[in-house]
Amino acid sequence: MEKEFTPKIVGFCCNWCTYAAADLAGTSKLKMPSSLAVIRVMCSSRIDPTLILRAFLRGADGVLLAGCHPGDCHYEKGNYYARRRFVLLKSVVETLGLDSERLQLSWIGASEGPRFQQVVTKFTEKIKKMGPNPMLEKISL
Amino acid sequence: MKGTKLKVTKSVEKTIVNFLEKGLDKKCFDIVLIPLKVPAGDSFAWVLVQDKSLLADANPLPPVMTVQGAKALSSVARKGKMSKRIAVVMRPCEIRAVIELSKSNQIDLENILLISIDCPGALPLKNYIENPKESENKFNEILRSAQNDKGTQNDIQWGNESTRPICQVCDKFTGTDIGACQSDLHIGILGVKDGNISLIPNSKKGEDILNEMSFPVEKLSNNWENKVKELVKVRKEKREKLQEELKPQIVGLDNLLETFSTCINCQNCQNVCPVCYCRQCYFESEKMKLTSDDYLMRAESKGGLVFPPDALLFHIGRMTHMSLSCIGCGACEDACPMSIKVAQIFSFVGDKSQEVFNYTPGKSIEDALPLKVFEEDEFHTVET
Ligand code: SF4
Ligand code: SF4
Ligand code: FES
Repeated sequence: MEKEFTPKIVGFCCNWCTYAAADLAGTSKLKMPSSLAVIRVMCSSRIDPTLILRAFLRGADGVLLAGCHPGDCHYEKGNYYARRRFVLLKSVVETLGLDSERLQLSWIGASEGPRFQQVVTKFTEKIKKMGPNPMLEKISL
Repeated sequence: MKGTKLKVTKSVEKTIVNFLEKGLDKKCFDIVLIPLKVPAGDSFAWVLVQDKSLLADANPLPPVMTVQGAKALSSVARKGKMSKRIAVVMRPCEIRAVIELSKSNQIDLENILLISIDCPGALPLKNYIENPKESENKFNEILRSAQNDKGTQNDIQWGNESTRPICQVCDKFTGTDIGACQSDLHIGILGVKDGNISLIPNSKKGEDILNEMSFPVEKLSNNWENKVKELVKVRKEKREKLQEELKPQIVGLDNLLETFSTCINCQNCQNVCPVCYCRQCYFESEKMKLTSDDYLMRAESKGGLVFPPDALLFHIGRMTHMSLSCIGCGACEDACPMSIKVAQIFSFVGDKSQEVFNYTPGKSIEDALPLKVFEEDEFHTVET
């Protein structure tokens, strides 16, 4: 029997919002897939597109960048810059014909435990349908 | 278009050099940055020329691009305002890179006069090195074809198949708004059938210099503008065609891996790129050096691992850093020892991402670098 595919998703989560939401989802015992490996960062703008790319090319089935809602960034403007960098990253990846759908940007506020649960569940479902990242097998990556 | 007509004496290059000599004499500027033939006679180097006699070896339009001009200028002017007035003579793509660098505080433009020239293209560095004399003749023929132009098709050899592939599809080979190039003064050499070239002021600085040198600024005939626009149209079509041909070769994971499979990760392309200005490149940092266990683990799970590793990460990562500023100068492709179509690929990706941000690098100092600014209400389609 074929083993069911469990996606591996790297999640860069902002300390002030999304990470708190993840915590809340946990303490509220909300059920969700265990596919997300959370990396806590101080702001969504800490993440240079290269870090997302690095996870992606190394074979992560999906990469999630998540931070505070626009207007709520702890450092006021970080997430606006993060969004522009993400737009550029998406555009480059798309132009090169790689699976840009494996990269996702979401805003999840500190009190939004259920939203965290929903984002992770939906993204996992989507990646499940896409199957494993073919990059994982490539010996030059 | 308004400007000054200059009678060509001997050659276009000499006429431009004479103009610079006059500027030095009249103290309109104190020093000139311009390519000079190296003593061995088979290459060109950027030289800051104070002593006018050195200008005898100057060539404002050398057949090759050895060092991208913006790179040369940023080594002079990145630590703040110049104490002397400097005139810089460059190809339009070099000027556009200068404008990009000034936006990231790598060049202080205050005392700099940027002079651009219509560019006939440049020859691939490799071909030139193999046979400098023959290459120079070839280039001369291309350059002079602008003067022999009788208006029939194929008169103009600019950007012909001897020039670098990226030059053949360059639609910004000229100055002013038409070439999206914000020099102070542009020298038009296309479409001048009466033995003149045009000096076209493109900024207050440019106007002031012509005044200081007592050149009359008058309405120019439409010849230059018409010829330039005609060629821009042809080039735009060629560019689109080349990119359509490029796509099936590079787009998609397997094609991409194949394209860069010969890359030796020497990072020459990054080192010569004028708009890659970081003093410490991420890809040369400790962050890229992992423990042996990391590599062993990768090799184990994949069955093998290519070394040096992470070549594709380097290229795509670089695109996410600088493709918005890529001005398609071709320096990277000239520098690649493996003849990878680096400039064609980067400028293809650059064109696309620049479109997304509605940004043209080098066009105007007023247009902020897209990653340095934002609007609160934008790009919601990338949010999930
Ligand atoms: S990537 Fe290549 S073509 Fe683009 S600016 Fe850099 S050197 Fe020039
Ligand atoms: S110059 Fe060529 S071989 Fe060297 S890193 Fe760039 S693409 Fe690879
Ligand atoms: S602090 Fe959360 S996105 Fe900036």
